[in-house]
Amino acid sequence: MNESETALWWARIRAAGPQRVAPSSASPAGMLRLVEPDVTAVWLLTVVPEGARPSVLEELGLPVLAVEQPNDTARVLAVCMRCCWAEPTGPMWPGIPASRQQVAAVFEEITDRDEAASNRALVAAIRRLAGAGWLLWDEPGQTVRLGPRVATWGSADLSALRELWRMLPSSADIGHGDPETPR
Amino acid sequence: MPARGQGVIALSGPPEPTLDDLVGEVAVLRVYRQVFSVLAREAGAMIVDSTTINIDESILEAFAEAGGEGLTMEQAVAECRQWAAPIVRRRFDVLRSYGAISRVNDRPNELYHRAAFAPYVMLLFLRRMAEQGGQSELHQLLTLEQLNVKSANATAADGVASARRLTKVFRLLGNELAILAAGSTAETLGNNAQLLWGNESLIDQAKDVHTVVLGRWPELDRECAELRIALAAYADAIDAAAGRLIAQAGTTRALGLLPVEAWRTFGRESSPEALAAVLDRFVFDAPAPWLSPQALIEAVEAGRQISTARVPPPRSDDAEAAPEADADIADDVEELRAIAERLLADANSVSVVDVLDGAGDWISARRVLAEVTAIHHHPDLDYELVWRDGVRIEVAASPSWTSQGRFRRASRAGGEEG
Repeated sequence: MNESETALWWARIRAAGPQRVAPSSASPAGMLRLVEPDVTAVWLLTVVPEGARPSVLEELGLPVLAVEQPNDTARVLAVCMRCCWAEPTGPMWPGIPASRQQVAAVFEEITDRDEAASNRALVAAIRRLAGAGWLLWDEPGQTVRLGPRVATWGSADLSALRELWRMLPSSADIGHGDPETPR
Repeated sequence: MPARGQGVIALSGPPEPTLDDLVGEVAVLRVYRQVFSVLAREAGAMIVDSTTINIDESILEAFAEAGGEGLTMEQAVAECRQWAAPIVRRRFDVLRSYGAISRVNDRPNELYHRAAFAPYVMLLFLRRMAEQGGQSELHQLLTLEQLNVKSANATAADGVASARRLTKVFRLLGNELAILAAGSTAETLGNNAQLLWGNESLIDQAKDVHTVVLGRWPELDRECAELRIALAAYADAIDAAAGRLIAQAGTTRALGLLPVEAWRTFGRESSPEALAAVLDRFVFDAPAPWLSPQALIEAVEAGRQISTARVPPPRSDDAEAAPEADADIADDVEELRAIAERLLADANSVSVVDVLDGAGDWISARRVLAEVTAIHHHPDLDYELVWRDGVRIEVAASPSWTSQGRFRRASRAGGEEG
């Protein structure tokens, strides 16, 4: 893969988000290869130094890209992380698929909202996150997986997220009728 | 001059000129005018548009293809079929009058003409100079000068000549720019911006020549000082002109270098591809929001605190009265029914006059009247108040007059309860 092809891949990923390619394809320089669990495809994701990530915008006090319903969106991502990150001691990708019922149960648990409103917010946020590559949303199958973009969280981010993982109730606990899960 | 006086001459199907072509033509024309205006004015034919230059070129090309015996004017006109014949004839005359074309034999009725090579070379030179702003010619001139002064058999006289030539060139350049920068509009300055291009390497080359001259012939310090002054003046003029252009362009992409109309025309007439090409090297980020773990944690914690159950809007303190009001309405029916029954006293109908008389004074009577009216209007009660013509007048009584009327059980069709 020559320089201009590499540059093209970088531009593609920057402009259109993580790219899904065949596992046999060549890998451009500076890319993270996230292999799907069934090894049918590979996600390409640019790796940038810690000081060049979007989180820098926050540190510099610059406006970040606005997202609709930012709080619900963040909550849903947190819930999906709780449901799909099977082994929080390890890396987040690829995680396991979670059904929408599981996600919805945890989301209702942390938001105390009536079912219709909660459902609406959940679906909207899942679609929003799936569009940005944070989640992979299988709409016919009604299952959610973590998207390739979660791999952009660095190690410091991951330790904060492990804390959050422990704070959140799991769908299994809710299923047992014990709403006050260990925090 | 057969075509003299013809104002507008139609050209045979000229292709639609693009903005670049127009700019190129304008540049060619400007240089051509500068160089040839004197000659052309003497010959009685100013260059008025770039078509004229193209015609000159066509005529000279026709001569180039004609071969040894040359061309008559009619043959040349026929060769230049793509242009209108009258204007070709006019240009032919103009070219002949300043010697670019001459008769094969110098006799009055000679028909055949030959063309000199120099005007065509000049034309090529001008075109190139206009395309490249004359800078490359100046570079070549400077390189030649440097070779001249460096060559082993160069004399001090060559050095003087070289330094003087360069001094003149740079004075002319610098003066033109300085005048433009000081006095002209920014548009004019923008049109002449080619004078500004590539100036640093020009100055550097001229300095090289200066160094060589001064090193070989130290006695030429006066000429060299003049060259230095000319160069410095040119550099100052560049700074002034560039400063004005930058100030006028502001933070835009120097849009002022072309007139506004040119940009508008370009915007209107360009293809989508041409317009999109502006963004070719730009990359836009995907609209992907970044969610930091802190944002996730804050959102989750905020979600726990806020109870999103519906809270009724705040009410004033006397909100307690509202349920009692409901009860009053319920009681009202019974109350009114009791009053009605009391007034009727088992009869089917009583006179309003009797009812009011029975009430005593007016204060009580008017309350009774209000009650009776309320009973009449109540949808659930089958009583009615029927007024008639006629008034009972008793001057002594408290209500001194009373309308005739009857309060009676309703004969409403069906009634509410069936």
